[in-house]
Amino acid sequence: MNARMLRVFAALLVWLAATGAAAQDDEAVLDNVVVRNRLYEPGGHLEVSLGVGLPVQSHLTAHYFFTGGVAYNLFNTFAIEARAGYAASRHTGLARSISESFLAREDKRVTDELEDLWEMNFHGVAGIRWAPIYGKLSLVSDLPAHFQAYVWAGGGVGSFQRNSVIQCSQVVDRQLGVCDNRTSLEDRGSASENYWVRETRMAPVVSAAVGFRFFILDKHGVRLELRDWVFRDNYRVNLVRDDWEAGRVTGDVASSPGLTHLVQFDLGYTFSF
Amino acid sequence: MRPILSLALLVAAAAQAAPPRFPPSAVVLAQAEEAPSVPGPGAETSVPPPPAQPPEPKPEVPRAPTARPEPTVPSEAAKAPKVEPALAPMDDDAQDEQPVVSEPESVPERDVDAPVTPDDAPVLASSDEAPRTTDAREQRLVNGAPLYNPNVSLHIVQKKRFADESKHELALYPAVVQVNGKYTNHAGTALHYIYHLQENFGLQVTGQYNWHTNESDFNLELIDKVREQAQAASSLLLVWGAQAGVEVTPLYGKFAFLDDKLAQFSLVLSGGAGVGSTRHLIRPEVSNEVDGQRFNVPARFGDTGTKFLGSVGGGFRLQFGESYALRLEVRDLIYTARVDKVDGCNLADFEQLEAARASGQEFGSLPLSGGCKYEKFDGVDPKTKKNYREDIILGRDLVAEPSSDVLNNISFYAGFSFLF
Repeated sequence: MNARMLRVFAALLVWLAATGAAAQDDEAVLDNVVVRNRLYEPGGHLEVSLGVGLPVQSHLTAHYFFTGGVAYNLFNTFAIEARAGYAASRHTGLARSISESFLAREDKRVTDELEDLWEMNFHGVAGIRWAPIYGKLSLVSDLPAHFQAYVWAGGGVGSFQRNSVIQCSQVVDRQLGVCDNRTSLEDRGSASENYWVRETRMAPVVSAAVGFRFFILDKHGVRLELRDWVFRDNYRVNLVRDDWEAGRVTGDVASSPGLTHLVQFDLGYTFSF
Repeated sequence: MRPILSLALLVAAAAQAAPPRFPPSAVVLAQAEEAPSVPGPGAETSVPPPPAQPPEPKPEVPRAPTARPEPTVPSEAAKAPKVEPALAPMDDDAQDEQPVVSEPESVPERDVDAPVTPDDAPVLASSDEAPRTTDAREQRLVNGAPLYNPNVSLHIVQKKRFADESKHELALYPAVVQVNGKYTNHAGTALHYIYHLQENFGLQVTGQYNWHTNESDFNLELIDKVREQAQAASSLLLVWGAQAGVEVTPLYGKFAFLDDKLAQFSLVLSGGAGVGSTRHLIRPEVSNEVDGQRFNVPARFGDTGTKFLGSVGGGFRLQFGESYALRLEVRDLIYTARVDKVDGCNLADFEQLEAARASGQEFGSLPLSGGCKYEKFDGVDPKTKKNYREDIILGRDLVAEPSSDVLNNISFYAGFSFLF
């Protein structure tokens, strides 16, 4: 009786194991089908791209990026890319408000410049793009969208300008916060020149991004990207109001100014040859 | 060889142009259900099962390398469901080597119930070369779709491996970090419960506690350098929130990581409404020197009451197995903010408190409003020796100009969930 039961159990175990193994095999085959059947294989292809970037966070400055890029896909998952462009930048309303009110705040005779006021304009970077994820998305029942998810890292150089919101070298109207040559005190737009202390520089920049590239038709694609531009800040501390209002250079360079991050959401188009 | 190939292409094209001899996919599905050994529609069932018998050689019809070969079905199997063979991978080298005309051979008898496995069934995982049949003329429909078209994933995407309907989901987000903090910083933990009423629609109850809430360094920098700060309503801090809402998953898909790992994901969109508790920074962390001794006085916050809370969000749910998922979402917590009381005290209360402080009067005898917790502005902290009466003027400043705002607290949620 025991031997018979043992044989039955053994047979049952073998059957269960075989069934499970078969199911696993089927699943493995399916997975491979999913993985292998890539409709778009960018490896070995050159591609060009255009993009527009909008600021995700804007405290004192806002940037609007216009970039173009050339990339070569060494493999399906790996590419090298060069990007260059121009960022139109401006002070935010908050920065303008601070600058106007601070002119009238004469109780603050010594202060430091604010951080993160550098605005990036021209820039060029080169980097690598690693796209380990290839996926398919069911947008509607009959329309699958193929995409790659990638990370990007690289570095380059950029041109920067910095317009102070504290140091006005020629105060026109302290109470109204006027520090420019406007023809009418009430009309800010009539000014053609301002007297805020302005600095420019070229500096290295590092950039990193995560994003998706959706393939469209054979050669086209849409890119959605979150990108961070990082560069070293540089500002002065211990500024004396009498000095800057007399047009003299004042203060010391901050010893550890930290890094400035410009985070942007980038919408782009790519064309693969 | 080339003329023969051309002829074969013509024959194949004519065969493609002929009316399909296959029943509609629904019929095939029904037949497939009757005969379990026959591959049915869909990705999972489209994979041919292991052959029950050795592959049979092709009879009579010469094979053209660019056309799909027809399966050989014994005459006895006339009543068996018609089965479209899976398409073979297109291998140019193999085509060149393959004889165009093969001698017909006798067909051995076979069991009609056995699965029909053509000899050209693809070995899907055996090589690195994926099937390539992008030419429309070469695409033969298998149960209504070109199975080995690279875009065959259409089937695979359509079929979800794990169903959500009628399932419960408990999601824990250990890290919830605010990403748009201009004047405020928040970090916390959230717990969500979702009941998936339907496959793409669920009801949601959420709770969140922010264990770190403070004004941002940027706001403190403005105070320090230019004597400016955000309005009280714009720098309101959310301590906790509770909401009820819905979650929809309009999109789903799959992705492969480095060709090895496969994961299913859904795009989740959510919305809800509820209440949240808020507070405001009265005084940042300072050092207090008493009798030559320096004490570090922690930041002090004042309760600003519960507010209406709404949220919208979206993100990805990556499912691993049937019961586990990783969730990456971004949510915008929207709350109304009007700061006219701090710790229950309004401007009139603070002015009375300030006057009493200046004259050294006891606070208990003041005709304050009912909810004013004047005790919080009275006494001395035994640890830091900080006199709380010094904070009255700071509280008064917050409500001196009652401010209101609608705040958007956008946070990134990273967590995992358990489905049951």
